[in-house]
Amino acid sequence: MATDPALPIPISYISGSYYLFSIDAVTYLRREHHICGVLIGTLPQIPQQNVFLAMPLQLMPEEARLLVDKGVACIVDEIKAHKDGMTSIMEEDRKRYLRDLEAEGLQAMRLQNRRKEQLREEALKNIDAKKAAKASKKAAQKQAVADNAAGDDPALELFAGGEQAQDAGPQRPTPSETAMAVTPATSYPPMPSRPASDQILPSPEVPSSYPLFAHLHSKGYFLSPGLRFGCQYLAYPGDPLRFHSHFLVVSAEWDEEINLMDIIAGGRLGTGVKKGFLVGGAEQTGPGAEDSVRTFSVEWAGM
Amino acid sequence: MADTDEAAAHLPASQDSAPQIETDLSDETQDFRFLNNLAFPSDSSQTSLPRRGEKDFEPNPTLYQADILDASRQAMHNALSHPRLHHPKHRVIAFYAPDGPAPPTNVTEEKDEKETTTNEDDEQNPKKATNADAGTGIGVPADSCVYVPNPKGQYFKSMGRADRWNRVWLLPEEALYLIERGSLDIRWPVSVTGPTAEEGEKDLGIPMSLQAAYACFTGRGGLSVERFSVYTGLRRLGYTVIRAPGWDDESDEVQDEESAPQQGLGIFGRFLHWLHSWNSSTGVTTTGPVVGLGIHRSYNDIYRKLAVIPYHDPVTPQFPRRKTTAPFRVVFHVYKPSTAFRKSAPPTPDFRIAVVNSRTQTTMPTLSQLGTLLESTPLDPPRGEKMDRMLYMRLRHGYRNVILAVVDQGVVSFLRVGDAAFGKEKIYAEKPPGPKKGGNRPRPKK
Repeated sequence: MATDPALPIPISYISGSYYLFSIDAVTYLRREHHICGVLIGTLPQIPQQNVFLAMPLQLMPEEARLLVDKGVACIVDEIKAHKDGMTSIMEEDRKRYLRDLEAEGLQAMRLQNRRKEQLREEALKNIDAKKAAKASKKAAQKQAVADNAAGDDPALELFAGGEQAQDAGPQRPTPSETAMAVTPATSYPPMPSRPASDQILPSPEVPSSYPLFAHLHSKGYFLSPGLRFGCQYLAYPGDPLRFHSHFLVVSAEWDEEINLMDIIAGGRLGTGVKKGFLVGGAEQTGPGAEDSVRTFSVEWAGM
Repeated sequence: MADTDEAAAHLPASQDSAPQIETDLSDETQDFRFLNNLAFPSDSSQTSLPRRGEKDFEPNPTLYQADILDASRQAMHNALSHPRLHHPKHRVIAFYAPDGPAPPTNVTEEKDEKETTTNEDDEQNPKKATNADAGTGIGVPADSCVYVPNPKGQYFKSMGRADRWNRVWLLPEEALYLIERGSLDIRWPVSVTGPTAEEGEKDLGIPMSLQAAYACFTGRGGLSVERFSVYTGLRRLGYTVIRAPGWDDESDEVQDEESAPQQGLGIFGRFLHWLHSWNSSTGVTTTGPVVGLGIHRSYNDIYRKLAVIPYHDPVTPQFPRRKTTAPFRVVFHVYKPSTAFRKSAPPTPDFRIAVVNSRTQTTMPTLSQLGTLLESTPLDPPRGEKMDRMLYMRLRHGYRNVILAVVDQGVVSFLRVGDAAFGKEKIYAEKPPGPKKGGNRPRPKK
């Protein structure tokens, strides 16, 4: 299971966008703070599809701001951090880092070989079980297929054995002892895990819809970008992994004139996709007022 | 469309092949537990994507629900924490070149950056003189920043550009896409990080992390994360994507308009055009009835005279050409997987894509922005037997088209904009369709 990351979690700011690169941070923020972001990376195990995506996780400025306001995260100027960090790594650190990576690669290779062996044993068992000549022939084919599959994509094999990763002891001798090369997800290590103070950026700029965003978030909703339904946010009652969204959220200024057509369009669209159309905004009550956001939900009345 | 219909998720019966096509699974967060089915494609016949999972309506305090959610999150965590590994057999090593394309340095690495640059200059001056290539001096795009000394594998068929030392240079988006999918092992240059190997060993440098790759490549050479999201999303689906001339703010896409309009008009079009001009020269509309006085023998003549409102004809070229402005300009040329693609001579693209960030561009494009964007694309009139037969398809196809990729914080939507020519479709001149099914021969009433 995930280990909880040290707080505050560094959020990478790179040319206008906010990212998370550490899976532990992603899991933690999702579980504890209902921040989902949007995964934008390619999943290396199955790279030719768009349904399941992987790291990095892109955060909306609103999400980054919320986390900073809660004191859970800080914004790091990642370009500067890399510029400063990569040139100033000590030689010993570099060598240790490379050794660690090699160990990891070796481990991965062993794991893969072990799985290969397992598959082979299974295939052999199959052969034993089926004594008939025809049956054993088939099993041999299967073994060939299994071997091919294992050789083609080492990633898949490791993924499959993800949970057994801990008990893959180094005592097992394996035929090939060359390590796999590893592309790590984050740059910490080799860079120091705490960013220097001059790499910390101020709180993110957020659009005027932020009060509504923060309000809905504080009520336990999970929010995601709303482009697919033509709104600002989609509000989910629980983790989007397991629940459909309930509201199409659009923010408005308190005294803003809202075009009636927009209400009709939003209401119809929302009802058509079995969601409510939610308009909300912060009342101008002056500073100090706690939660001045009000929300209205529009539904198509079937009269 | 269908993704809007959440009722479908609760009706397994409706999950047949037909709705499956309309449902875009990537439109919604999918339960990562379904990935487990995907993760073992040992049986190659079972490579289809999972179907939409059943989701619950709202949270309740049952342990059952909490367990499922935990399992989903665990599956997600496992899937995402998987490292990007490179088997020694298939490993492709690349090097990051922070200063852009440059000829190779000596094999022995320099101790610090300053020395490297001075050394390079000394060595390269004679080479540069002999090299005829403009821009970078070694014949690769100036925005390239990663080179692969020993390119192998399928990816370089549609990516990168080779220099005369047989190294393939990658653009930032290509390098980022490849490192992200675990197909490229990019190394920091030793000049940045300092030496890592023992004496006598070949120094490969420190592997670049995904985080470092994002920090170094996004924002470089005009690559915004929005553009990258579009690029990588299409690449994942198997399309070939290359930069269009409109990528940089200065240059605009120049289209060869010489031959296109002639093909577009066709004999029928020219005939219509001739008819129209002949007609308008004789019609007198300033005084008297619109259709004019006299004896009218044909409805078509009357309709033609009634057409007093001018319409936009996408076929007539606009002069002078207006310049497109960002973001409404074509930045990507896209080729279907079935299109034969040669990176040395890219064919006519199947799609042209403009990338729009919905956070900075919150309004619809104005008519002039859209018009200029469409004008920058070549004429692509509806052609073919089916198009000739079906009016609606003709209108939908339009005479020019472009795709807008709207990006909202990592979520991409594609919109196709076509320049439909309603004015060119003379409904009155169409043969009336058959009584019922509209067969090819209009039959008398039964």
